[in-house]
Amino acid sequence: MAGGDGDRARAPKRHKSSAPSRSIDETAELDYTDDVDDDVRDADREVKKRDFTKLELKPDHANRPLWACADGRIFLETFSPLYKQAYDFLIAIAEPVCRPESMHEYNLTPHSLYAAVSVGLETSTIISVMSKLSKTKLPREIIDFIHASTANYGKVKLVLKKNRYFVESPFPEVLKTLLKDDIICRARISPEDSVGAPSFTISKTAGEMASGHEDLLDGMELAAATEDKETHSFEIDPSQVENVKQRCLPNALNFPMLEEYDFRNDTVNPDLEMELKPQARPRPYQEKSLSKMFGNGRARSGIIVLPCGAGKSLVGVSAACRIKKSCLCLATNAVSVDQWAFQFKLWSTIKDEHISRFTSDNKEKFRGMAGVVVTTYNMVAFGGKRSEDSEKIIEEIRNREWGLLLMDEVHVVPAHMFRKVISITKSHCKLGLTATLVREDERITDLNFLIGPKLYEANWLDLVKGGFIANVQCAEVWCPMTKEFFAEYLKKENSKKKQVLYAMNPNKFRACEFLIRFHEQQRGDKIIVFADNLFALTSYAMKLRKPMIYGSTSHVERTRILHQFKNSSDVNTIFLSKVGDNSIDIPEANVIIQISSHAGSRRQEAQRLGRILRAKGKHQDRMAGGKEEYNAFFYSLVSTDTQEMYYSTKRQQFLIDQGYSFKVITSLPPPEELPNLKYYTLNDQLELLAQSLSARDDMIGIEHLEEDSDGKALMKARRSAGSMSAFSGSGGMVYMEYSTGKGKAGASKKPKDPSKRHYLFKKRYQ
Amino acid sequence: MPQVMVVARNFMDMVAALPAAKLDMLYDSAFICEAVLRSLPPLAKKYALQMLYVSAPVAAAAMEEWVLDEYAAKHRVAIDRLLQLRVFVEVRDRRKEVSYKMNQKFQGNMQKYLVDGGSLPREPIPSSVTARLPTLAELESFALEQWECFLLQLINSSQVERGTSFSSSMMRTFQRGLLSSRDGEAPRLTENGFQFLLMETNAQLWYIMREYISSAEERGVDPTELISFLLELSFHTLGEAYSLNTLTDVQRNAIRDLAELGLVKLQQMSRVKPWQGRKDSWFIPTKLATNLSASLSDSSSNKEGFVVVETNFRMYAYSTSRLHCEILRLFSRVEYQLPNLIVGSITKESLYGAFENGITAEQIISFLQQNAHPRVADKIPAVPENVTDQIRLWETDRNRVDMTLSHLYEDFPSKDMFDQCCDYARDHGCLLWEDAKKMRLIVRVEFHSEMREFLRRLR
Repeated sequence: MAGGDGDRARAPKRHKSSAPSRSIDETAELDYTDDVDDDVRDADREVKKRDFTKLELKPDHANRPLWACADGRIFLETFSPLYKQAYDFLIAIAEPVCRPESMHEYNLTPHSLYAAVSVGLETSTIISVMSKLSKTKLPREIIDFIHASTANYGKVKLVLKKNRYFVESPFPEVLKTLLKDDIICRARISPEDSVGAPSFTISKTAGEMASGHEDLLDGMELAAATEDKETHSFEIDPSQVENVKQRCLPNALNFPMLEEYDFRNDTVNPDLEMELKPQARPRPYQEKSLSKMFGNGRARSGIIVLPCGAGKSLVGVSAACRIKKSCLCLATNAVSVDQWAFQFKLWSTIKDEHISRFTSDNKEKFRGMAGVVVTTYNMVAFGGKRSEDSEKIIEEIRNREWGLLLMDEVHVVPAHMFRKVISITKSHCKLGLTATLVREDERITDLNFLIGPKLYEANWLDLVKGGFIANVQCAEVWCPMTKEFFAEYLKKENSKKKQVLYAMNPNKFRACEFLIRFHEQQRGDKIIVFADNLFALTSYAMKLRKPMIYGSTSHVERTRILHQFKNSSDVNTIFLSKVGDNSIDIPEANVIIQISSHAGSRRQEAQRLGRILRAKGKHQDRMAGGKEEYNAFFYSLVSTDTQEMYYSTKRQQFLIDQGYSFKVITSLPPPEELPNLKYYTLNDQLELLAQSLSARDDMIGIEHLEEDSDGKALMKARRSAGSMSAFSGSGGMVYMEYSTGKGKAGASKKPKDPSKRHYLFKKRYQ
Repeated sequence: MPQVMVVARNFMDMVAALPAAKLDMLYDSAFICEAVLRSLPPLAKKYALQMLYVSAPVAAAAMEEWVLDEYAAKHRVAIDRLLQLRVFVEVRDRRKEVSYKMNQKFQGNMQKYLVDGGSLPREPIPSSVTARLPTLAELESFALEQWECFLLQLINSSQVERGTSFSSSMMRTFQRGLLSSRDGEAPRLTENGFQFLLMETNAQLWYIMREYISSAEERGVDPTELISFLLELSFHTLGEAYSLNTLTDVQRNAIRDLAELGLVKLQQMSRVKPWQGRKDSWFIPTKLATNLSASLSDSSSNKEGFVVVETNFRMYAYSTSRLHCEILRLFSRVEYQLPNLIVGSITKESLYGAFENGITAEQIISFLQQNAHPRVADKIPAVPENVTDQIRLWETDRNRVDMTLSHLYEDFPSKDMFDQCCDYARDHGCLLWEDAKKMRLIVRVEFHSEMREFLRRLR
């Protein structure tokens, strides 16, 4: 058990290996869970042909930027002079559906309205701004919907002031309703003079909108929103806080509490001396996301969504620097932990002794009164027996009152783990960061109430235009199956081998070889080739004589390969299995070639694209029209007439919704190159076919990262360097959620009992 | 003889296609003569004027010398046109030499017209009688609304709330060639029909007028009379009121139909003045009518585009028109309809539906490009490349099966014979398929006779 702490108490052993006959489709559901609901959505849309022609157009509709439909869909013209204001407003109140160049679509949902309310927008403000921006009279349904969705949200705040917990609300009648509840009533600490009397402390708060929304309301007379307001509050017993919060959740009293942290007035927790370094200049969108978080001088809990490579870590570090209290930073794996620690040192003036990493093989004790601790979710959530020194550290984490709980990649961490982490750690403010918040699954519900609402979401295309992230040219390369491969593909007895067959399609191989050669030789690019299929990965890499990294590559080997890739001009291409999807930071790479992928996962596609989004080169060159307008390339190779075509369309959906477009290329490699590429002759191709068909069963499927989920393998990984899970952790964690669902049925949350669902959501699901 | 086939693409083509006697009858009216003259290509116009006061035939050969050699083609086009319209008449002398002479009626009328000027058979009613007439803008919107309503009924009669008063048989006449209906199925737009919808208004109008005129005889109306009336109409002043009492019965019937199409607006005296004794009513020509005789290229209106296509295959059409909605529905999935916006998406399924109806990818793409919203029209390309590529790819995807006519041979008496046949066909490059086990083979159709011959020799 040496060092065997952390993630061991995981799911029961995966039964996938014992049932090798599962079809690819089934296994596909195990990780990228975001795609399960896809078909439902499509079917839904079919029904939604809606006729709203009867809405009354305002006479000056041309000057107003948006239409709102009764079913919650909103269309926004991006060329309107009011676009910027309208965008900021909509992103605060609605979920973006797609954001291409000229016209954006948004959906009003209960969640999005919850988020709106929690950043300080009021029902009346939402409705009045929206009707100002709308070209038509607002449909009655929309107004009702906003009222219904916001009736209870955001009415009550839980504020930690001078280390006393207050339940705060501008509406005394709401507080009275709450106090009718036994638990809350008992938790109340009544002022000594007036025992039991329903009188509240009345105070004035500075205008809610003061800093956060000025830009949005620019030019619109909404003075009312910035007026000072009276708030009423009562104090509650700190030991009862969790219970009170529970009672306020949608399944009970349904007044979900917003958590705000008045960190400036927190005198009990020691300050941490850290400032942003002068050279750390947050970009406009980073500023904006921070301003949503610190809108009223307090720190709100919530989630900030920024694309990969757009500088999430600077946002996290800046948030920590503003709060200036102890900060617990949670990452998905050990490599990320190192990267986060590095980012803290890079951007802030924090002293080295105030920052410590806590991973299975890097247990730095922290010293001093306040500090930053970077660790993984697993380390904190782990429920089994720990080694002595880690037990001490975890005790420390448990006992401390954290100013900020900073959570990276919240989209991959399952809800039950969140619950655990959040119940273990006491924090005043929680900030979640992610690049791809896939919506409308149940996880978002959990995130909303566990962490907080989405505070900000950046528009990818705007960031590309601003030169903040790379402008990626996406292409789908169509590779026709060779006759022989297709004949085998169609045979029933080869149903298990389909994936290998379309991955090993010689035309695909040759297209890949051509692209590698082209980018290495003509442009001097650095290339990552992704293959989920192990057999394809190894065959391609061996044949092309390129280094590869997959699940069982040792840590030493990985480090060596990555180092060479970064520094040597001889190694310009590496092959990665899906261990490379998340978190491996390879800023040098600017070309991705994807030869096999995970069924229809939109998130995987987005994460892979994220590997090359970090902007490179000079800023002005990257701007539209600059000499390097496209400086990154994403190729997805698909074999035509196979399942891959279908998956490929699904996978691209998320990126397409963000405004990316995939160009279809049908003529690769060019004919004159044909003889110079491998597998030119039919004999070579037939040999490859024979190899593919005789590939062992364990090689033909998607790589199963057993070490993620299997305790023993994990331990082994841990001993080597602790980063087995590091490279792949996220995928495994998502898997866990499912396995628990199957393993301990009943105890698990999935499938969610529809009757327990919040009534607003219930309505939406029917 | 005219060397160019007459394809009636505009009004004058139709006039040109009339039988000689009818055409000559048309030239009774000085207005029609003028209209014909105006419609001529520049060179033909010059010839006509040049010959206006020449009564003797001029030899064709002599005329050819009027132009430089390199313009011979233009010359021929001009002469052909004049002959088609019977402005010139061909005369052959005893030596079969061709010479041209001007149509006497035409010549006479034009000469008179030059001296006297022409006058319409009717004068506008003074505004003191008509009181307030619709403004030009009102008139135009009336015309377009009427026209659109008609088109909508034309392509989708089931979905129209307020139809025109055309009889269903009349409607069927118009639909001929645009819709095809298989038994028991709702009529579907044909390729021509789709092209028709994508044409600009004047061209559409022209198509409908042609059907209207050519079906006149079925209704017992002389097409010549209709043509002359329509030409006359194009000389009326836009927006003025003309009394219905000046019309013949045929014309009065026609004007009702034209009002349905939006060419004229009919109005009645609002108050009957007692001393007049009877109601007066009048028609007001709209732009559609006055543009009628203009040639198509002149009238290509610069209509503003309205469609925005995004890289995610979403399509946003700034339009209030039900017709546009119906057109878009032909190849896309319309999801939202707002007061002035139609939201749809181009999907594989919707396109397959369009392809099935004979609409081509190029037609769809050019429709999207030509109607691109000004916001995106300046962009190159106006329609995202990935969308146009995909539309084309989906189309080619449907055409991946090549048909080759061929013959199947089976029941060979011996393996040896089968092999010989295979070799023979293969040597000639005509073997398409063979199945050695079942001894069957397929050869190209053009090889069939040789193959049969070969088999006979083997036996």
